[in-house]
Amino acid sequence: MFRFLAPALFLLGTGMAIAQTSGIPPEELTNTRRQAGDAINVCVDATGQSRAFDLDVARAIGDALFLEIKPIEGFGGFPVNGDGFMDELTLAMNNTCDMFMGVSVSTEAQVSEAFSITRPYVNIPFVLAVTNPDWQSLADIPLDQRLGTAMSSIGEMTYITWAEQRARSERWIRLPYADPDLMATRVLDGTIAGMILWQPALAKLQAERPEAQALRVIATAPVAETAIRVGALVSSRNTFLRNQVDQAIDALVADGTIDALLEQHHYLGHAGE
Amino acid sequence: MKIELMKTLFAATTALVALSGTAFAQGITDYKPVTAEMLANPPAEDWLMFRGAYNNQGYSPLDLINKDTVGKLQLAWAWPMAEAGIQETAPLVHNGVMFVQTNNNIVEALDAKTGTLIWQYRHTLAELPAAWSYQINQARRQKNSIALYEDKVILTTADAKIVVLNAADGKLVWEKQVLDYNKGYSYTVGPLVADGKIISAISGCSIAGTAGGCYIMAHDVNTGDEVWRFNTIDDPENPAQQASWGDVPPENRWGGTPWTTGAYDAETNTTYWGVGMPGPYSELIRGSGDGSVLYTNSTLALDVATGKLKWYYQHLPRDNWDLDSPFERILVDQDIDGVKHKLLVTVPGKNGIAFALDRDTGKYLWSKETIVQNVVKSIDADGTVHINEDLISHAVGEEHLVCASVSGGKLWQAGSYSPLTQAYFVPLTEACNTVAPTQTEFTAGNAVGAVKFGPRVLPEGITDAGLMQALAVNPTQGESKWQYRSRPSMTSSVLATAGGLVFGGDAARAVKAWDQETGEVVWSQTLNAPIGGYPMTYEIDGEQYLAIPTGYSNAASSISSAFPEIPLPTGAGNSIFVFKLPKSN
Repeated sequence: MFRFLAPALFLLGTGMAIAQTSGIPPEELTNTRRQAGDAINVCVDATGQSRAFDLDVARAIGDALFLEIKPIEGFGGFPVNGDGFMDELTLAMNNTCDMFMGVSVSTEAQVSEAFSITRPYVNIPFVLAVTNPDWQSLADIPLDQRLGTAMSSIGEMTYITWAEQRARSERWIRLPYADPDLMATRVLDGTIAGMILWQPALAKLQAERPEAQALRVIATAPVAETAIRVGALVSSRNTFLRNQVDQAIDALVADGTIDALLEQHHYLGHAGE
Repeated sequence: MKIELMKTLFAATTALVALSGTAFAQGITDYKPVTAEMLANPPAEDWLMFRGAYNNQGYSPLDLINKDTVGKLQLAWAWPMAEAGIQETAPLVHNGVMFVQTNNNIVEALDAKTGTLIWQYRHTLAELPAAWSYQINQARRQKNSIALYEDKVILTTADAKIVVLNAADGKLVWEKQVLDYNKGYSYTVGPLVADGKIISAISGCSIAGTAGGCYIMAHDVNTGDEVWRFNTIDDPENPAQQASWGDVPPENRWGGTPWTTGAYDAETNTTYWGVGMPGPYSELIRGSGDGSVLYTNSTLALDVATGKLKWYYQHLPRDNWDLDSPFERILVDQDIDGVKHKLLVTVPGKNGIAFALDRDTGKYLWSKETIVQNVVKSIDADGTVHINEDLISHAVGEEHLVCASVSGGKLWQAGSYSPLTQAYFVPLTEACNTVAPTQTEFTAGNAVGAVKFGPRVLPEGITDAGLMQALAVNPTQGESKWQYRSRPSMTSSVLATAGGLVFGGDAARAVKAWDQETGEVVWSQTLNAPIGGYPMTYEIDGEQYLAIPTGYSNAASSISSAFPEIPLPTGAGNSIFVFKLPKSN
């Protein structure tokens, strides 16, 4: 149950990209405990790809624990290099959020003394989306075509790791995109042959842009499939809550609630780890 | 219901107060406009711009406070800053009034003789949604400079505006939305006023929405109309610049932020700016191969009339470690054997290497290492910089120990040049950290960050974090004149004066005066917090004053583990302390 925590805790204190903005003036950190009764503040990344799904999961957790969920668009909108990221996350978890949904549970997860990570409630893959009907997998795409990847994502990492083991002539040129909307536009206009992105980002695009229905998912072979385990952060001030949330996630995975939410939101993947 | 209504009314009342802008407006009755002539030749008693003059030297011709008298300095007054934040403020003085900006674009006018508040302007920032955490983070930094021109105070704001105030009472004259903060644009450096233009540079160039565009811009000083803009990461007129990004088109490029207010040479109507690192940091992630990714980490010389590029010089090509090179560019004139040499001297980047260029041509003259660094292997006689390719990661997670660290080395703290001793004084920090390209997916599917930095550590064999480096500068070489090492890191910019002194301070809350010739500390005073911002000096009624900002410092906290015996205050204490000599009678 806690095996994912070990690598995460190992990273404690390793810091983040700080360029010129690291550090939190102490006055910015509150030293108070919220008096909220049976309500908890549940934050989501305002720029997150799966906000609606994550809040549905939070409500299910709240129902299971007889807690009122107060959704808060916690924070988000960071630069591509992560500048200031840990500062704002620490501030949010210290000052505002009891729980923060939609967090990637991985060895690269950022942790600090202000929060700890729950067990994952869902596992959702990265996908390769193209428009060309003749392609069934990445291997079918000619090597002179370009690919887009969601910048800094685990899906991108898997592709880079594969590509670095091959000669330049045996791999696709990859362009990093920070904006999935722009990346989809470039697939649709033929600038790039396909894009590797998290499936909820594709589901969001297809829900919001009619022309994105032309995008279809094909296999990533010869590059391995990649998936993200998604969990939540819980404030370090409330270890009791952390244990309760873990138990609630177990129950929601077991009784099919999470799987039903996946289907409702048109997400691939499966409940739990 | 009643309670909710009352809450609403209370909020509305609060909003009205906030919107009113100027909280105090006693006004200045005899304010003398700052003319273009004064900006070109600043009166000795004033401090009219970021580093005192267009040349960015950070030098004052005042000499009442000197090696003989500095020991008698007494506190004249002190003032708390309007808000907490990271202390990077650069006070200006004119007409007996100190103008100082704090974070969130609050500007205060103080009686420079007594510290009494005259007026305060609070910029009404857009209420930033939670999705704009980066801008909120940036707004927390106290902006490094504002500008004075005619009867106006000019500032650039966290919500990407140019704001012009009436210097006499702090009332808003006009403001201009320069770029779209919804895309992520935000100002973190202040403007330079020259040739009838407000010249500044935008930040936020690492936000997804700003891909492909990072600008140095000029606006008409009277109307705010845009005159020109220069894109630091996309120059269609230079094929070499385009090729330097390899396969990466402009819409997939980030970075290139000019973090420090530029210099200006009126003789050639040229402005000089430094440019920061590329984004993403690692070429493995950004896809630029072995390209040099111009104009990141370069000095740019731009024609002020047109914004056209005159020349560029890249101090650190192919940056993989966030060792950006945007810091102060200093213009130095030296007459040697009847020949006038026009130099641009700088320690532009975090790796601490000093450079001198011919500022009319961009020709490389010399370079000199200062702190321990391992990213630049050699520099050819023609100025070609060769990086240490052994430190480039070729796999995700491949880690290298890199010196200097992402925190510097050199950082925003500006050095100063003294014509008196022809020496360049540079505050530096000895530090290394591990660097590894990685994927950081905090919010699932919504990644940020492409490089992981380890904790800052001292280089092997070094026990002192702080280094004050004096370089003897001439057209053919820069040689170490003296070094002053200290356990705590240097945390402020430095000020050189005609009194033969250099002022600056450190994480141990000590402001010091060094003898420019010898490096001997001839005065030291412990204050309330790490010394920060930009120390400056001015004169009123025949008395010279010395202003020292203090407060919260990244340069202290990022390397504080190197000097654990020196505790840092838990309160920021952002303040201005002003010293002067006792009256002789």
